[in-house]
Amino acid sequence: MRNRGLEQDGIAPYLFLAPLLVLLAAFIFYPVLMNLVASFTEWKGYGAMKWIGLSNYRAMVSDEAFWTSISNTAVLVCYIPVSTVLTVFVAALLREGLRGWQAYRAIFYIPNLLGPVIIGVVFSIYLRDDGSLNLLIKLAGGSTVRFLTSPSVAINSVGMVQVVWVHLGFGLIYFLAAMNGIDQGVYEAALIDGAGFFQTLWRVTVPSIRFAIEFWVVFNFIEVFARMFSYIYTLTRGGPGYGTFTLEYGIFSQGFEKFRVGYSSAWSMVLFLFCAAISVAQIRLMRARSS
Amino acid sequence: MKKATAVSAGARVLVQVFLLALVVGSLLPLYNVVVASLKSADEFAVNPFLPPRSPISDNFVYAAMAAHLLAYAINSIILVPVGLVLYLAVCITAGYAFGKMRFRLKRPLFLLVLFLTIFPQLLLATQVFRLISLMRLTNTALGVILTWVAYFSPFGTYIMTTYFTDMPYELVEAARLDGASPVRILVSVMTPMAMPMIATIAIIGFQSMWNELPFSLLILQNQASRTLTLGIAMMRGEYGIGVPTLSAALVIAMAVPLVMFFIFQRRITLGATAGAIKG
Repeated sequence: MRNRGLEQDGIAPYLFLAPLLVLLAAFIFYPVLMNLVASFTEWKGYGAMKWIGLSNYRAMVSDEAFWTSISNTAVLVCYIPVSTVLTVFVAALLREGLRGWQAYRAIFYIPNLLGPVIIGVVFSIYLRDDGSLNLLIKLAGGSTVRFLTSPSVAINSVGMVQVVWVHLGFGLIYFLAAMNGIDQGVYEAALIDGAGFFQTLWRVTVPSIRFAIEFWVVFNFIEVFARMFSYIYTLTRGGPGYGTFTLEYGIFSQGFEKFRVGYSSAWSMVLFLFCAAISVAQIRLMRARSS
Repeated sequence: MKKATAVSAGARVLVQVFLLALVVGSLLPLYNVVVASLKSADEFAVNPFLPPRSPISDNFVYAAMAAHLLAYAINSIILVPVGLVLYLAVCITAGYAFGKMRFRLKRPLFLLVLFLTIFPQLLLATQVFRLISLMRLTNTALGVILTWVAYFSPFGTYIMTTYFTDMPYELVEAARLDGASPVRILVSVMTPMAMPMIATIAIIGFQSMWNELPFSLLILQNQASRTLTLGIAMMRGEYGIGVPTLSAALVIAMAVPLVMFFIFQRRITLGATAGAIKG
């Protein structure tokens, strides 16, 4: 990327970039800009926009659904450390070269292949009140857990399934690749010093893959804020009540179910701010990494 | 693979038990769907979990024909490859420009692309929907393909850029001294050399488009134009579709990504980390 001061390639690079830039202008910049405009209007998504100043934002901060969406997102964020600890731990186990480690890595990756829609529908069957998991719980002597029908439980089901279960496979591949880059000599030295598995994990492995863990956490934030819609749409449809609403789901619900597009645009601007912050964090990490 | 290890033989057994339990727990939801797809509604009512006593294939026939899954799959098989070709063309040309060409606005434009890679679909959805209807592309293949290519290209471009940046500049220099035009350099010199990474982003792009939901949900509103993924999403909760039928639909839909995985396993696992590891 460092070519400043050298001769330039003239117009050619801009022509090469034209298809990308035209698409981005039409499908990303224009929408974000129009969202900002629409957030100050009353608008059904068609017809004329009526300027109403900050009314949408005022309505939003006194909307229960909005604050439920925020607190639901906070619950999902709490699953990020759970997912990180579990994934690094399992990756460290597989790194030991256990028999069949490649098979484990492949099997755990399956959810990532199937994609959010299939996963969401699969779990909408599996986690029903009369579904298989509850059947097993009852056989083990427990009582029915309302995984999808109790608002306080449902968001945790989303967290367990999407943040922890789905990401395990991706994380294993990712962390195993990062751990592969660690000098074997360090492990041999730790072994000679009599360090156990957990000590080695904490003192050698984790510090050596710090960058990978940081990327992983940012990736998970992206998933929680920006990639949850398809799971939630297929798993719970945002319910019960606002039980599994997130900002994304709220935008969908207000904009496409209730046709309050102006109002949903105010939600969009909040989501935009969160995502812009995450994006900046990610770019900073990339920079720190490459320098 | 022989490694320095702090895990004793006894602990290894324990670890294997733990991992096997994790695998079983992980696969149970999928097992559940597979067995349900083979049961009649009557059998499912009394035996939801154990393997079917008398397996039937009716659910698959119903899901594929009456529930239109076959038609949806054909839609996906047409839409996704066309989208993929456009996506590759956009990502390769833009990635090459960022990676190997010299121009004043390179840094700001590249940062902009990076900045856009994570924006959620729903943030753009209402305005994209409006744009698509203004262009009279609602319910058309072109509408959803353009949206997909626009939305997924920043990430593909980023990966191609990192790859082209790492290639030796002498290749470009030599081709230029031979009098090759920029287009010729890209097509005949750089693209063939970038094939491994192009294959990787092709798989990433394929998976992204094949599994895409919110845009297809909003743009493809009539039933006949649904993709397989959209069809599955809409089938859940549809009146008159029981768990066995829905399960059969899921099994059909799982076949494509699983077969892909068995064929391209190495490349898919590489692709999974392409974005982050390269940094």
